[in-house]
Amino acid sequence: MRLRRPELHSLAGAYALNAMTGADRARFERHLARCPACAQEQHSLRETTALLAAAVAVEPPADLVERSVAAAARTRQLPSATAEAGTWWPARRGHRTGLGHRAGRAHRTPVPRGAWQAVPRRLPHALAAALLAVAAASAVIAVTAEHRLGAAQSRDQAIAEVLTAPDAVLVTSRVKAGGTVTVVTSHRDHALVFTAAGLPRLPFGRCYELWLMGPRGDRSAGMLPTPHRGMTSPVTATGLAAGDWIGLTVEPAGGSAHPTSTPILMLNVMA
Amino acid sequence: MAGPAAQRLAGTALEGLLRSVARGDQAAFEAVCARASPAVYGVVRNVVRDPAQAEEVAQEVLLEVWRAAPKFEPGRGSAMAWVTTIAHRRAVDRVRSEQRSAERQRRAAWYPIAYDEVAETVEARLDRERVRRCLGALTSLQRESVTLAFYGGHTFREVAELLGVPEGTVKTRLRDGLIRLRDCLGADR
Repeated sequence: MRLRRPELHSLAGAYALNAMTGADRARFERHLARCPACAQEQHSLRETTALLAAAVAVEPPADLVERSVAAAARTRQLPSATAEAGTWWPARRGHRTGLGHRAGRAHRTPVPRGAWQAVPRRLPHALAAALLAVAAASAVIAVTAEHRLGAAQSRDQAIAEVLTAPDAVLVTSRVKAGGTVTVVTSHRDHALVFTAAGLPRLPFGRCYELWLMGPRGDRSAGMLPTPHRGMTSPVTATGLAAGDWIGLTVEPAGGSAHPTSTPILMLNVMA
Repeated sequence: MAGPAAQRLAGTALEGLLRSVARGDQAAFEAVCARASPAVYGVVRNVVRDPAQAEEVAQEVLLEVWRAAPKFEPGRGSAMAWVTTIAHRRAVDRVRSEQRSAERQRRAAWYPIAYDEVAETVEARLDRERVRRCLGALTSLQRESVTLAFYGGHTFREVAELLGVPEGTVKTRLRDGLIRLRDCLGADR
């Protein structure tokens, strides 16, 4: 094995350090299943990575254990019979946990019916092109220095990726306080693009902050830039998870770690 | 804070506790959490960086330990290695799904979390001294590759790009480096 597949064998370190993705990992796991010596080496290297982990141990937040124990009480365990020979640790992601039921976690505001109309539909090409044009124009505005050029380019690339994703869905909604927002989501990429027009002007020192709100808790998706002639240029956010809503709140300039005001918009972007 | 049940179980080895957890023993689970959560939170915190997200991921990890305990096979490695592997995998899943590579590369260089920010545990201080000493015995390329991959959560391809060396070189440095670390730390079983 070792001689026939030297290039695969050299991946043992990368694999033990979880420094591989997708196809690389799948290839190495097939190799592991056929190479008992490699599997043995993996076990010893995993013990080493455990020491790398132990070396950065810190006191966790005070209620971490308590919350985990409470969540466990609501979560069904896997049957031992399903243990697969090849995987010593559980499969990655994609299971239901009791986390979503944690009391008081989701600051979800009931959305009054009729206050907004969510119209999910496939993204028409013309609109995608229009949004890209807005993004490109805003990039030109943003370019004042070399480093900002780099930032704008990577941002526009992120926008283009969402807009051209095969599962891109457009939702447009009126905001009760004034204005309209348009959100394009790609659940495949866990990403979204948010734009707005005519949002109420905010007093000095206040900004709009975008949130992903759902079973994983409330996560900031960034601050909206200052509108230019009423148009808010597109903002991308990643980390969209199943069950997330999009929230928009008014926060002190610089943003908050958690929403500090009632959302002026809650938008359901579920697939 | 560990509850009374967790304190009663404090003398039991983590492997034994996990076996009880596999049978649905919640007190044993609390003891496992009390024992493993500093390393879990520490490794997640290093990779994820953002404290709020780290807390979220750490909770997911502990819940995964509960859920998957029936699948733990003691013959294939220590309980701590099993738990920290889950923690590291979850943490890198989180950063890789959330950050576009461009952004990750901008803040590429691995930097350790400042220790005045978070209270380290006594065990961690001893482990850290050993690990630091053994990391110091590696070549600089081995050391940079291993720390970028583990604490930075980077793939070997990203590490190659960050260090400006061929991917093949990083692959072998990660393996050689980890083997030298293993021998230095005496972690081979």
